[in-house]
Amino acid sequence: MKRKYTALRAWVVQRVSAVYMLLFIAFFLVHLTVDPPQHYEGWHTWITGSAMSVATAAFFAALLAHAWVGLRDVLMDYVHVVTVRVALLGLVGAGLAAAGLWVVHILWTRHV
Amino acid sequence: MRFSIFRYNPERDEKPYMQAFDIELTPTDRMLLDVILRIRDSQDDSLTLRKSCREGVCGSDAININGRNGLACVTPVRELKEPVELRPLPTFPVIRDLVVDMTRFYQRYYSIKPYLVNDEPAPEKERLQSPEERDKLDGSFECILCACCTSQCPSSWWNPDKFVGPAGLLQAYRFIVDSRDRATQERLDDLNDPYRLFRCRTIMNCTEVCPKGLSPSRAIERIRLKMLKVDDDEGGLALHRVPSIR
Repeated sequence: MKRKYTALRAWVVQRVSAVYMLLFIAFFLVHLTVDPPQHYEGWHTWITGSAMSVATAAFFAALLAHAWVGLRDVLMDYVHVVTVRVALLGLVGAGLAAAGLWVVHILWTRHV
Repeated sequence: MRFSIFRYNPERDEKPYMQAFDIELTPTDRMLLDVILRIRDSQDDSLTLRKSCREGVCGSDAININGRNGLACVTPVRELKEPVELRPLPTFPVIRDLVVDMTRFYQRYYSIKPYLVNDEPAPEKERLQSPEERDKLDGSFECILCACCTSQCPSSWWNPDKFVGPAGLLQAYRFIVDSRDRATQERLDDLNDPYRLFRCRTIMNCTEVCPKGLSPSRAIERIRLKMLKVDDDEGGLALHRVPSIR
């Protein structure tokens, strides 16, 4: 199954997502070191701010995309029986999709 | 000096085994190939290997020496850690002892169309190329197709049929940057496939073991950049000093 740009696109996604995650984590750690939240309300205000929400959501989207490309590569390397590989890819995809839904739930549900 | 050499004759042996040989080095024993041939001539003339030029340009005597692939004829023998373990190229089908079947390796090479594709009418003398355009081929045309790189590449181990491999991809690069070739986009489209090029994880075993100092991994990186239409400062690929086998 050869679709144009698929292989190159996956490779680019892996690298772009890695760079974004690196920047996000660096920013996150620096902020927690330099200006740590003193109490839960401070933390909550910071993390649910509109810019931070979007950035955090983007971080998890990058993480899931990165993980998908990585695991797909591993399965393509080692699993040569097509039916088994497709089944495992399906399981991995379902697992990551479930994790994605859980992230959405955590980020956007009101927690008391 | 003690040598432990992989032996397997499918007509006689049920399975491969390592055979030990002890031999006194003489002053004229400089390279590993010299010693292997003396072992064969003086101790066991059934020992089977390929060799030809004895100067590192034909690629026939590519074998695995103490875990690393290399050419026996240009590997200094006295520096090797004993017992020197000699094995055929990893994962290639063994025909006998140190001789492997190179068919699949050649098929991967042929699959990248290793010839100039140019349907324009032939000029009177030759298709011209400036010195700068010719320099772009440096670091890729020198490949002797010894298969040291490809048989040391883990991605090649896991997908020897579908992944083109470092040698094939280096030659693909050689034709992609050749100014006389007119099939550049077709070559790039052919390699833009999850298996053909993109099994490469930049492990760089290939560059590390190339006995000619070539860098297939750098060529593969440049092919990826070309697919992305990123303008890279091209010039040729630099040759690196060949790391010694110990």
